[in-house]
Amino acid sequence: MYGGDEVSAIVIDLGSHTCKAGYAGEDSPKAVFPSVVGSIDQMEVDEPANADKNSGSVESKNNSKSLDSEKIKGRRKLYVGSQALGYRRDNMEVLSPLKDGIVADWDLVDSIWDHAFRECLLIDPKEHPMLLAEPSSNTQQQRERTAELMFEKYKVPALFLAKNAVLTSFASGRATSLVVDSGGGSTTVAPVHDGYVLQKAVASSPIGGEFLTDCLMKSLESKGIMIKPRYSFKRKNRPGEFQTVDVDFPNTTESYKLYSQRVIASDIKECVCEPQILHMMSFGHVLKSAYSNIPMTPYELPDGQTIEIGADRFKVPDILFNPSLAQTIPGMENFAEIAPSVRGLPQMVIESINKCDVDIRRELFSSILLAGGTASMQQLKERLEKDLLEESPQAARVKVLASGNATERRFSVWIGGSILASLGSFQQMWFSKSEYEEHGASYIQRKCP
Amino acid sequence: MEAAVVDAGSKLLKAGPAIPDQAPSMILPTQMKRMVEDGSMNDSTLYEDITVDPIVRGFIRDWDAMEDLLHHVLYTGLGWEMGNEGQILFTDPLATPKAVREQLVQLMFETFNISGFYASEQAVLSLYAVGRISGCTVDIGHGKIDIAPVIEGAVHHIASRRFEIGGIDLTKLLAEELRKSNPQVNISMCDIEKIKEQFSCCAEDELAYEKTQNHVTEKHILPDGQVITIGRERYTVGEALFQPSILGLEAHGIVEQLVRSISTVSSDNHRQLLENTVLCGGTASMTGFEDRFQKEAGLCSSAVRPALVKPPEYMPENLTMYSAWVGGAILAKVVFPQNQHATKADYDETGPSIVHKKCF
Repeated sequence: MYGGDEVSAIVIDLGSHTCKAGYAGEDSPKAVFPSVVGSIDQMEVDEPANADKNSGSVESKNNSKSLDSEKIKGRRKLYVGSQALGYRRDNMEVLSPLKDGIVADWDLVDSIWDHAFRECLLIDPKEHPMLLAEPSSNTQQQRERTAELMFEKYKVPALFLAKNAVLTSFASGRATSLVVDSGGGSTTVAPVHDGYVLQKAVASSPIGGEFLTDCLMKSLESKGIMIKPRYSFKRKNRPGEFQTVDVDFPNTTESYKLYSQRVIASDIKECVCEPQILHMMSFGHVLKSAYSNIPMTPYELPDGQTIEIGADRFKVPDILFNPSLAQTIPGMENFAEIAPSVRGLPQMVIESINKCDVDIRRELFSSILLAGGTASMQQLKERLEKDLLEESPQAARVKVLASGNATERRFSVWIGGSILASLGSFQQMWFSKSEYEEHGASYIQRKCP
Repeated sequence: MEAAVVDAGSKLLKAGPAIPDQAPSMILPTQMKRMVEDGSMNDSTLYEDITVDPIVRGFIRDWDAMEDLLHHVLYTGLGWEMGNEGQILFTDPLATPKAVREQLVQLMFETFNISGFYASEQAVLSLYAVGRISGCTVDIGHGKIDIAPVIEGAVHHIASRRFEIGGIDLTKLLAEELRKSNPQVNISMCDIEKIKEQFSCCAEDELAYEKTQNHVTEKHILPDGQVITIGRERYTVGEALFQPSILGLEAHGIVEQLVRSISTVSSDNHRQLLENTVLCGGTASMTGFEDRFQKEAGLCSSAVRPALVKPPEYMPENLTMYSAWVGGAILAKVVFPQNQHATKADYDETGPSIVHKKCF
C-alpha cells in the first residue's frame, strides 16, 4: 500500500522519561526530548469555576469533548522540548502526561507530538504513516483514543501501534525472547513468542530510572550535599577563579525545581553508578560492611562543587535487584507503604517465565533481552546473569543479551520500530485512514494485535 | 572539469568550482526581485518591488525562484554549458527534512540534468575547513543559529540545537533602536544591514555592556544625505546574541546553549568537543564576538574550557564567512573522484530517495 522508498514512515516512542521520534529506516531517532511539559496557567478566565480545573485535575480532561478541551487548552500555555524546558519561567509547572504508564492527559500528549512533528522533525504529519510504540499492557480505550487523536487531528494517512516488547525483540532479530525493559518510570518484564506478547505473563514494577534518581538525590541530601539547579546560580567574573553567586527566583514552582535537580542527579547516576558483582551471602549482614570500603569517585556539579560518591554508586543500582534496600535511605521510608509487594528484577524474570508454557521456557531463558535507559548501566548484564543463574532451574541455560552500545540499548524500542516500518512485508499491515473511516477506531484491535 | 560547490544561505549564496584554498568565486545575495513580464516597459510606476526570498531560515522554500537563481549561478556564473553539466555538491543546514533534500535532488537531476550530486551537512563541512573531523560547530547565519556537536564526521542529532534567530533579527532590532534614537530619519532595511555590518560590535562582558549607556555617539551620513547618530545601539546588537531577552525571546545566551548541548553528549567526548569549537557564519565575524565568546565560555565549566579553533594559515582570510563552502570544496575533491556520489544512472534507477542512501 505504501511504498517503502518514497514515503518515509515516522516512528514515535513516547516513554515515561523521554520521547524518541524519527524517520523509519534510520539507525537512531532524530528527536529525543523529555516527555514532560511545562505549563503556565493563564489566569484571564471568563468563568472562575473553570480556573480550578486547570491546576492538577486530570479526570475532567479525559472525558471532555473537543470543544471543552479547546477552551481549557487556551487557558494554559505549554512548553515542550529540552530547549523550552531548560529556560526558567515564573510559575511554570512541570507536568507529565503519563501516570503509572498509561496516558492521563491527552492535551499534553498532543502537544508533545506536535512539537516532535513541527519543531524537531519539520514534517507534515499528513504525508507520513506513523508507527507508535505502546506499553505492553495498554488498554483498548487508550488505543482507540490514540487512533482518534492521530486520525482526526493530525490526519495521518496510516497508523500502526506496536508493543514495546515486540519492537525490542525485532531490534535484536528474534521472534521469541523475554524482554526486560527498564525505563524511566517503571520496569516491565514481558515474554514475546513469535512476535506476540504473552499478556498473562507480563510483570511490571514501579522501580525505574526516576525512582533510582530520587533515591540518589535523597541519599545525597542526607549527607548534606544540596544539588543546586542550573538556574539558581550565576558565575561572576574573577580572573583565575570561580565565584558562584546564588540567584533567587521566588516564583519558580516546586515541580520545576525538582525537575532541574533531577536532571543533574540523573546525570550523576548515569556517570558513576554501576551494580556490584560481589557475591552477597545474605542481604542483611553484608549491607554495612560491603558498602564501607569503596573508593570514592569525584563528580563535579554544574555550580563548581565537587562531590565524592562512594557507597551510593553501588547501592542505588542494587535497589533494582533488591527493592527493600530503598528503605534504608533516609527520606524514602514511605516506600514500604507504597509498594509492599515489589519484587527485585531477578524474581520478576523468574515469575514471568514460570507463568508461560513449559515448552517455551527454555527458549525464553536463553534469550533475555535488556532494553531501556536504566538498562544501559555498565555491568547490569553480568549482574543479572549471575543472579539468574542462582535462582533458575538447573537444566536451563541462562543467557542475557544486550547490545554493547549504550545508545542502542536506550533506543532499542525505537530502533525496532524503525526496522519494522521499513520492511517490505509490513506495508500491507498499516491501519489506513479509509479503514478508520469505514470501521471506526475499535477496528484497531483487529489490525494491531 | 571541476565539480561545483554551492552553499545556499538565507542571505548570501556562495558558489564556485571546488578549489579548496580559495574563496568562492561567486558570492551573491539570494534575495531576488520579481519582474513583471510585460511587453511594454514604458511605465515604470507600474513596477512593484516584490522581493523574493527563495531561502528562508536556511531552508529552500520557493522552488521556482531557486531554480532561476541556480540557473544564473551555474550557466552564467560558473560557465557551464547546456548539455555538458558537471557534478555539484550542495550544503544542507541542520535538521533538513527528508522531503526537502529529495526535492533538491529531483530539481538538479531533472531540470538541470547534472551528472553527479552530493549533499552534506554544513556543520561537518565547517569542521573540515579547519582541518578537524570532531568538534562543535556554532553557525550563526542570517536566518538561523545551529549548534551541532560532530563526532568523527557524524553530526550528533540528538544533542544539536537550532534556533530561528539570526542576522535578520539583529537587523530588525537595530532598525527599532535607531528609530527610537533618531525619530526623524527614515532608513531603509538594506541601509540598516550595511550599518549593522560596519558598526556593530560586542561589549567585553555584561558589566561593560551596562556601562555603554554613556557611550560616545558617532554621527554617520547615509547615502541619501541624512545624518544619524549611533551610540549604544551598536553594542545592543552584539549583546542580543548573549542575552536573547533583548530580542524578546525566552532562551539562554549562545554560550549557555553550547554548554548544555555538549553536556547532552556522553562524557567521554566532552573534552574533544569543547576543545574544538568552531565559530562560523557571517554574524560571527562581528568585532569583539570571539573574545566575548571565549570569555563567557571560560566561566562555564572549570574542568574543560571551550577553546576556539584557529583556521589554518593556508586558508583564505575571512574563513568564517564561508567555511561551509570551503569544507564543501575539500569534500568534493574526495567524494567525486572516488565515485561515492549519486550519479544520474543511480537516480534514474532508484529515484530521489537515493540521496538518503548515498549522501550522509
